[in-house]
Amino acid sequence: MISQFFVLSQRGDNIVFRDYRGEVQKGSAEIFFRKVKFWKGDEGEDAPPVFNADGVNYVHVKVAGLLFVATTRVNVSPSLVLELLQRIARVIKDYLGVLNEDSLRKNFVLVYELLDEVIDFGYPQTTSTEVLKSYIFNEPIEVEAARLPPLGPAAMFMQGTKRMPGTAVTKSVVANEPGGRKREEIFVDIIEKISVTFSSSGYILTSEIDGTIQMKSYLTGNPEIRLALNEDLIIGRNGSSVYDYRNSAGAGAVILDDCNFHESVHLDNFDLDRTLMLVPTDGEFSVMNYRMTQEFKPPFRVNALIEEAGSLKAEVILKIRADFAPSITANTISVHMPLPKYTTRVSFELEPGAVGNTTDFKEASKKLEWGLKKAFFFFCSLSLSFFLLLWHIHNIQIVGGSEHTLRAKLTFSQESHANITKEAGPVSMTFTIPMYNASRLQVRYLQIAKKSRTYNPYRWVRYVTQANSYVARI
Amino acid sequence: MSGHDSKYFSTTKKGEIPELKDELNSQYKDKRKDAVKKVIAAMTVGKDVSSLFTDVVNCMQTENLELKKLVYLYLINYAKSQPDLAILAVNTFVKDSQDPNPLIRALAVRTMGCIRVDKITEYLCDPLQRCLKDDDPYVRKTASICVAKLYDINAELVEDRGFLDALKDLISDNNPMVVANAVAALAEIQENSSRPIFEITSNTLTKLLTALNECTEWGQVFILDALSKYKAADAREAENIVERVTPRLQHANCAVVLSAVKMILLQMELITSTDVVRNLCKKMAPPLVTLLSAEPEIQYVALRNINLIVQRRPTILAHEIKVFFCKYNDPIYVKMEKLEIMIKLASDRNIDQVLLEFKEYATEVDVDFVRKAVRAIGRCAIKLERAAERCISVLLELIKIKVNYVVQEAIIVIKDIFRRYPNTYESIIATLCESLDTLDEPEAKASMIWIIGEYAERIDNADELLESFLESFPEEPALVQLQLLTATVKLFLKKPTEGPQQMIQVVLNNATVETDNPDLRDRAYIYWRLLSTDPEAAKDVVLAEKPVISDDSNQLDPSLLDELLANIATLASVYHKPPDAFVTRVKTAVQRPDDEEYPDGSESGYSDTPANAVDSAAAPSSSSNVTHAATRQAAPAPPAPSAPVPDLLGDLIGLDGAIVPVDQPATPSGPPLPIVLPASTGQGLQICAQLTRRDGQIFYSMLFENNSQIPLDGFMIQFNKNTLGLAAAGPLQVPQLQPGASATTLLPMVSFQNISPGPPSTLLQVAVKNNQQPVWYFNDKISLQVFFAEDGRMERAHFLETWKSLPDSNEIAKDLQSVVINSVDVTIDRLAASNVFFIAKRRNMNQEVLYLSAKAPRGIPFLIELTGVVGIAGVKCAIKTPNPEMAPLFFEAMEALLN
Repeated sequence: MISQFFVLSQRGDNIVFRDYRGEVQKGSAEIFFRKVKFWKGDEGEDAPPVFNADGVNYVHVKVAGLLFVATTRVNVSPSLVLELLQRIARVIKDYLGVLNEDSLRKNFVLVYELLDEVIDFGYPQTTSTEVLKSYIFNEPIEVEAARLPPLGPAAMFMQGTKRMPGTAVTKSVVANEPGGRKREEIFVDIIEKISVTFSSSGYILTSEIDGTIQMKSYLTGNPEIRLALNEDLIIGRNGSSVYDYRNSAGAGAVILDDCNFHESVHLDNFDLDRTLMLVPTDGEFSVMNYRMTQEFKPPFRVNALIEEAGSLKAEVILKIRADFAPSITANTISVHMPLPKYTTRVSFELEPGAVGNTTDFKEASKKLEWGLKKAFFFFCSLSLSFFLLLWHIHNIQIVGGSEHTLRAKLTFSQESHANITKEAGPVSMTFTIPMYNASRLQVRYLQIAKKSRTYNPYRWVRYVTQANSYVARI
Repeated sequence: MSGHDSKYFSTTKKGEIPELKDELNSQYKDKRKDAVKKVIAAMTVGKDVSSLFTDVVNCMQTENLELKKLVYLYLINYAKSQPDLAILAVNTFVKDSQDPNPLIRALAVRTMGCIRVDKITEYLCDPLQRCLKDDDPYVRKTASICVAKLYDINAELVEDRGFLDALKDLISDNNPMVVANAVAALAEIQENSSRPIFEITSNTLTKLLTALNECTEWGQVFILDALSKYKAADAREAENIVERVTPRLQHANCAVVLSAVKMILLQMELITSTDVVRNLCKKMAPPLVTLLSAEPEIQYVALRNINLIVQRRPTILAHEIKVFFCKYNDPIYVKMEKLEIMIKLASDRNIDQVLLEFKEYATEVDVDFVRKAVRAIGRCAIKLERAAERCISVLLELIKIKVNYVVQEAIIVIKDIFRRYPNTYESIIATLCESLDTLDEPEAKASMIWIIGEYAERIDNADELLESFLESFPEEPALVQLQLLTATVKLFLKKPTEGPQQMIQVVLNNATVETDNPDLRDRAYIYWRLLSTDPEAAKDVVLAEKPVISDDSNQLDPSLLDELLANIATLASVYHKPPDAFVTRVKTAVQRPDDEEYPDGSESGYSDTPANAVDSAAAPSSSSNVTHAATRQAAPAPPAPSAPVPDLLGDLIGLDGAIVPVDQPATPSGPPLPIVLPASTGQGLQICAQLTRRDGQIFYSMLFENNSQIPLDGFMIQFNKNTLGLAAAGPLQVPQLQPGASATTLLPMVSFQNISPGPPSTLLQVAVKNNQQPVWYFNDKISLQVFFAEDGRMERAHFLETWKSLPDSNEIAKDLQSVVINSVDVTIDRLAASNVFFIAKRRNMNQEVLYLSAKAPRGIPFLIELTGVVGIAGVKCAIKTPNPEMAPLFFEAMEALLN
């Protein structure tokens, strides 16, 4: 089982170190950091999450810029260790409100107390914040959340729209509000990460949604909750890949390929009316994870064209169209496109009136990046050291139905060998769309068992869609 | 104000530690708590606060759990370095273990188990016994793990006190958490024991399957992993088990899913119905694919496992190839694994789709990934005959982009494709030749040269092409040189014209006279002789038909695959290596049975002796030769350094002494040393060694013999952790050894330096390295007798008193069956020479009873009673000592001394 657990900062400083079995030498943290930092395997320069050095197995994950590491000498289940490391990070975040070097250092006594309950002699005992509460006696010392970078997918609710109280996600589940009273509230986030690959002619080659229903409860007394999903939800597709295209146009059932549930979820009624019953434990957890490959309408259509325009010159046309309702707004969109290595100059031409984008050309990787954000300036730039075109769309609202185009003229230092499309691209896009989900999976209602007539806690049901791998080939 | 000032001064005057000391002894609870927190803070940043031990322990008796936990944390850290003070905490621990509050009871047992100090361990047993039967499940589950802790410290104690049975009882506990921990503890104990301890019967199976549904996710993994060792009796039982386990596939925790997959895969081997198997495969696919939606780290583990699963059951994911397409933001380690699986799943049906993907990847930025993608196309061509043509056309397209590393990689795989499908695709050679001058990597160059040589008759200007490489022949890496040599010979055999003839002269000259590389030289000479004696034979040899290759890269050997599939969801399945290849146990938990006195090595040494003796007699005579002979003959001699020496050996030693000056400290004057590393294993290096005691100090007496062809130097030695913590006190001093030479040395040793935890064992693992050879590992035995101190003689009265004061549980007896006492006096003298001192004797009927004493390291006395009949084999040895766990080692030593 696990021999040691430690947390390292990005610089390799030891923030937390706990030895459970005394089988691995004390200097393991340093050995680990040096290995990871100077990793050079035959498969790239990133150290894999599991490796063996001198008989010691190191298993690690990166969470919030910190390295969570476990060492062992025996043939353990690596997925158990990886899950455990993620869970430890989550439990600590539940307790401290925020997870970073500062909060860990300030709360080391609490963290050690937690670690003693979570792991005994290397064996995971419990990672449920709820269960832990009865064994943990230290109070968290809160660190200022304001100047901290937002973490995790739920953090996107803090930026842009003022719909949610921004501090909620950085609040400890055990600490009380300044008034001594806790605010009764529950957050249910439907977070979807979508991956789409468009062919050069604009067809969808692959599309997939990885979704999760995340819950964070601040309700006292742990009342039972009923969460109702689409009534016509279908789980598991029956081998065939023939879809009724109308499905994606809005009608028809939502078909999930596969899903799994948190252990606190009772599925007694799930087959009947697609409702989940659960007594939410304290802290943040995934009620349900799901995966869908049923065709859906991608939120953005991306078209990229690169054409030679005489010798040593080419033109790039990037076009994105927002295929969602005008009431919905996408945030922090950026488009990346690697350019040929011999690109020396890029000049931009934006659509008339569009002042609010930034475009970048980074030379080191020769990529074109185009960012669309909400602002009054469009800004394209070229950085020759990256060979990358970046287009940030700053502070302009990309509302549903709108279309944006970027034209860039490239100048090369040498003649292209063959087909220029082989040396540029693919175009990839990142974005966040709040209050939108591509799968159409819905929370029909969120019912909290009432304790009294006046009991009416705040309920936040939030949807968000993010790009995972959103790529258009050229 | 004055108070304020004095505080200020006290800080500067006294320093941090005294101030903390004051605060720890404060009358105010809060102040004490803060002080302990400060101590812990200092401890975690690496300051030494062990001097506050007593003060911190004084804070232990408190009702405040927060404070208690802090003190316990401190204790775990420092008890080891302050074993004598740690005893102060025992009372509180024992009291806490009976506290009405279950949290405190559990905390006490948990903490005591973490303190690896003998004195504490002694006191752990009674509380542990109680807690295993506690009313509160939290206490029971903590106690279950504590049994595993105790087993790690003292396995015998666990067995003697019946804790194993108590653990087995807990499998039937009504609390699933307790069951899970008991299973985890038993599984670990079983892992470290050679005896069957935890065997799953169909009865336990039922219990565990029931508990599975109720326990935490982690408990589910413990139980599933333990159950995977269960072999179902028949297909029906296997089906039943699978049915119970299948719902676990829906779990959100990836570890549960993977352990369930492992369990199902294992049981599937027994299931005969193809319908059931097909159905199971169908059920397993979606959860396996869902693992790829988890964090990239988990994806990596899942992919490595899937790689194994599809090798055995390709149907499971045959239709899911799309999910293994790389996402642009996947980490490189995930992309690489996905590629591997895409190749495995590629079929005639999906190859077009797959090729399209590979082509995309081949134009990405990451060079390593691009190379692998190009190689993947080649491997698909070799795997799927019908798709080979399409693969080649993709490769040609990629070559046309003229990205240097893509071209080189493509040429490497095309060479393999040519070997796989001879005489099919040679038309593309012309295209390949266009890129000739851009090649700068050895492997690509070598591949291209191979192609030119192999198809020399079809390439009009083959001689010109090869000639262009020849100019730089001396600078090329060996790989390219070898290929150039062969290719030129092929060219010459195919086109024996003037140009090639000149070329072959140049190449052969270069490859024989002007190279230092023996491989190249040998190959060149073979060709040379072949060509000059029988050119026709040369043709037959060089241009012989080659066997057709297949794609076996990354394909595992079936027996290894079996082993790895049994280890799905473990590190072995990630490394694709069997567990024993990377699991290095620090402790030798399994104790060798007492009666197995000598390791096999020395027995075989015995039978070798005559031959060895003849060998050395025939060997050229040198000053060290006598020592050789002596050593070899003496190999089977008992490993007792100061035991009286048989006559014959005595003569030899006398001779030895005459040759080598006696006052030279590095000369062993005891009996010759046993061989620990035979020359056959050590590539000619032979090492003889033994622990010995001289003038109150322990030495490792060693003899190095170089029977290899090269001089050896730079000797170093390292000892693994061992029971008595033996380690070298200084560097190993061995001069350079010329072939045939030998050297002796006395390496001073220190003990209690790197103590291995676990039950005592005589195993001493040693590693020796030198600058010329790999590191040699060998096992030696720790003979306890070298630890017996010179001052171990006890007065009669003192002996009696000590004997009486020790409890009867500390008395251990053993029959030393092979020992014969021929003369009491000789035996007494012999023992005295090894610091086992005679105290008294009496006669009981015809039996002689001897009382003796010895003193082991750290002043531990051993009181000995030997009972036997003169001249008859079999002596009963009874001992009393405060450290009974050392008894096995002691008996081994006695047996060695008396034989």
